[in-house]
Amino acid sequence: MFDILDAVLERAHARGAPDVEVYAERSTSRRIKVYRQEVEQLTAAQRRGLGVRVFASGAVGHAYTSDLSDGALDAVVQRAVDHAAVSDPDDFAAVPEPGGAPADVHPFDERLTRATDERRIELAMSVEAVALAADPRVKSVEDTMYADGEAEVFIASSSGVRGSYRANQCYAFAYVLAEEDGQVETGYSYTVGRALEELDPAACGREAAERACRLLGARKCPSMNAPVVLDPFVSAAFFGVLSAALTADAVQKGRSLFAGREGQQVAGEILELVDDGTLADGLDSAPFDGEGTPCRRTPLIGGGVLQGFLYDTYTGRKAGRGSTGNGLRGSYSGLPGVHPTNLVVSGPVTPLAELIAGLERGVLVTDAVGVHSGANPISGEFSVGISGILIEGGKLTTPVREVTLAGDIISMLTNVRALGDDARWVPGGSILTPSVVIDGMAIGGT
Amino acid sequence: MDIAAFDAGLLRATLARALRRGGDFAEVFVEDRDTLGLRLEDGRIEQTSGGHEIGAAVRLLSGEHTYYAYSDVLDEAGLTAAADAVAAAVRAGAGASAVVDLGLVRSAPDRHAVRVPPQTVAIARKAELVRAGNEAARAAGAEVAQAIVGYGDTRQKVLIANSLGDLVYDDRTRTRFSVQVVARRGDVIQTGHETVGGSAGFELVDEATARAVALTAAEKALTMLDSRPAPVGDMPVVMANGFGGTLFHEACGHGLEADAVAKDASIYAGKMGEVVAAPIVSAYDDGSLPNGWGSQAFDDEGVPTQKTLVIEGGRLTGYLYDRLRAREAGAAPTGNGRRQSFRHVPIPRMTTTYIAPGDATADDIIAATPRGFYAKSLAGGQVEPASGSFVFGVAEGYLIENGRITAPLRGATLVGNGIDILMRIDMIAADFDVKTGVCGKDGQGVPVGTGQATLRIAEMTVGGTG
Repeated sequence: MFDILDAVLERAHARGAPDVEVYAERSTSRRIKVYRQEVEQLTAAQRRGLGVRVFASGAVGHAYTSDLSDGALDAVVQRAVDHAAVSDPDDFAAVPEPGGAPADVHPFDERLTRATDERRIELAMSVEAVALAADPRVKSVEDTMYADGEAEVFIASSSGVRGSYRANQCYAFAYVLAEEDGQVETGYSYTVGRALEELDPAACGREAAERACRLLGARKCPSMNAPVVLDPFVSAAFFGVLSAALTADAVQKGRSLFAGREGQQVAGEILELVDDGTLADGLDSAPFDGEGTPCRRTPLIGGGVLQGFLYDTYTGRKAGRGSTGNGLRGSYSGLPGVHPTNLVVSGPVTPLAELIAGLERGVLVTDAVGVHSGANPISGEFSVGISGILIEGGKLTTPVREVTLAGDIISMLTNVRALGDDARWVPGGSILTPSVVIDGMAIGGT
Repeated sequence: MDIAAFDAGLLRATLARALRRGGDFAEVFVEDRDTLGLRLEDGRIEQTSGGHEIGAAVRLLSGEHTYYAYSDVLDEAGLTAAADAVAAAVRAGAGASAVVDLGLVRSAPDRHAVRVPPQTVAIARKAELVRAGNEAARAAGAEVAQAIVGYGDTRQKVLIANSLGDLVYDDRTRTRFSVQVVARRGDVIQTGHETVGGSAGFELVDEATARAVALTAAEKALTMLDSRPAPVGDMPVVMANGFGGTLFHEACGHGLEADAVAKDASIYAGKMGEVVAAPIVSAYDDGSLPNGWGSQAFDDEGVPTQKTLVIEGGRLTGYLYDRLRAREAGAAPTGNGRRQSFRHVPIPRMTTTYIAPGDATADDIIAATPRGFYAKSLAGGQVEPASGSFVFGVAEGYLIENGRITAPLRGATLVGNGIDILMRIDMIAADFDVKTGVCGKDGQGVPVGTGQATLRIAEMTVGGTG
């Protein structure tokens, strides 16, 4: 593949574009859905392509192609040059420089390359079978999926950045419908890893079923101002949204509620939040980011105090500092943007049962609908629909649904009072978080 | 390569190869997609990006099983590899069906007329529109702190061949222009968003349109600076025309998609002919709406798009089918088999979904509401089709007091359940409008339109902080 990257660099140079970066990917993936112990869908895929970023006196042009023929390489270079011609120049936009040795991370497990379709199907079937058998109230498993992927990433630039790595991962997922007295509730779970041996299909099926069944009989609860316990799935969704405000991109463009608050108390004193692209078990770990900058560990909140932001090359230069290795790309067709790698929420923990026992009245929130549409990362305000279990007199009592949870992110962070002992990785943003107890939340019901 | 002239012999050979170990339907989907996007923020066009992707997918159906493989390599080797991958996966036993001869059908060029193909317009002119949008947003008020302006166009050519003998070529152009404005007063930050989009060419957006879109977005953000926290509780909710259609899309539309119905994971499953809405409610999904953002001549399985009546006078009259689910149900496909790209399996999806207009006026409806919530535009929403529960964020909302729209309200969420809400619609105006969006399902995003006239829901839960 590097011969193709070098060919692109040469062609760009020949067209009078000396500052160029090329990013390429090739990948294979499998996706298997089962339904009622039959294979419903099996997808086998191969994918490849490259993206070219041209820096012409600070103006950025980007173009991509899935066609790697000679003619297509000429065309993609020409387009990147043409696109740079209409972008506005910026003093801080320049081709990223080599950032030192890649992080010592190997997000690849050889065992996954030996997986067979039979074994994958068997694993998905067992997730569904466990979920179906877990409780008589389980009506069906609407979606049971196993998926895996293997990708090889390449980057080369005119400034001397050059690197590649291989990464793979696999996961299984179940979405369960439970029914009782005509009421349907849903629950999901997943299991993730880099090899089939690391997945736990039984735990996945069982948990999805439990999460659906425990909500049966749910109804609205009275409106109240009370503490809530966000379980790890829900906590991860909130930290995922608020992490957008912790990027230098949001700060520099006036889109962050954390702008100008470095060194200030922004969260409960127990809270630590770290971005770490080098964790061995982090799904988004990699030797380097989408600009070739080594991944690293970046503290964001420590002791409740805002410690810093995430940077890519551009925002780092603008702030007079270096990139934190957070210039990530969704795929070869996208430009790098500032995003978290793996986010880790930590601090002193308390057994979850003890936390619940300590609450006179509150809600254990097990599902939040609309976190992405109902939370505004710019203003920090949010209002989402939640399901969960009412806590009364230190005990989990009746399930609740169709109630809202509203507030603003800063008050919510400030009111973080305790963390559970149940930390786990939640994919879809790669966040490691325990349950989080937050005081004084507005719950809207009847 | 012009995919319209793709070798029909190779397509037929690929279908036969896919079917050789069994299966009862095979399909090849060839795609050529060209995109351009400009993005302005902080007064600068900071990124101009675009590209070209080609590829093909082979799909094999055997009973209720789907086998799918795709490749970025559009030659005989690539298609052969994809056909072999699905043939290898199919469970032996089912008898292979034959491939019928292919006869090409092209989409009619005037169906969603493109007067000015975007590819014929210099990128510099598109950049001018983006800058005009920025100027208009900035000029709207001193409290405008940021404007993000986007322009995008896509030309997607698809060629779909299947073992039934269909060979369909569809050439689709979409253009979109959007503005997001951030307004700030002290510590209060509010945002406003507006978009125009269609299955149309560059004629969709001129400088006046760009400025108007930007001004609308800016006014939303500025108005919301004066907002106070929304109240909590159950109250009448008036949904404005246009954006309010997201309600129907989320609360009802997803439950009409035949995959959810087939798995009994929809509250609308088994309710055909039953009352699911108030008698004044009729609703459609229309993939053939001329130049609609969610429209195209054929769906992504080569089935012509159509206007489907899904609710008539409050009774459920139709589901939205792709080929697979139509086959299972013994129904005719409705042109709702859509996919994001050749890298995605087609599934039942909405196109432009809307509640039909009534004959009241928006003013009548507000005047008839002593106290309530007016949702002018929605930020987006989510639904669980199995339970029908949904949540919407309200981007722009107001209090209704004594039959008049009064204070702007922020941080509101609308929460409810699909059928409950449709049953409680008690007034519908005539001011029908459609807005554009991108709907996500199973990890696939497709362009959709959502529409309605101003309507009232007699009672609904509003969640706020006030």
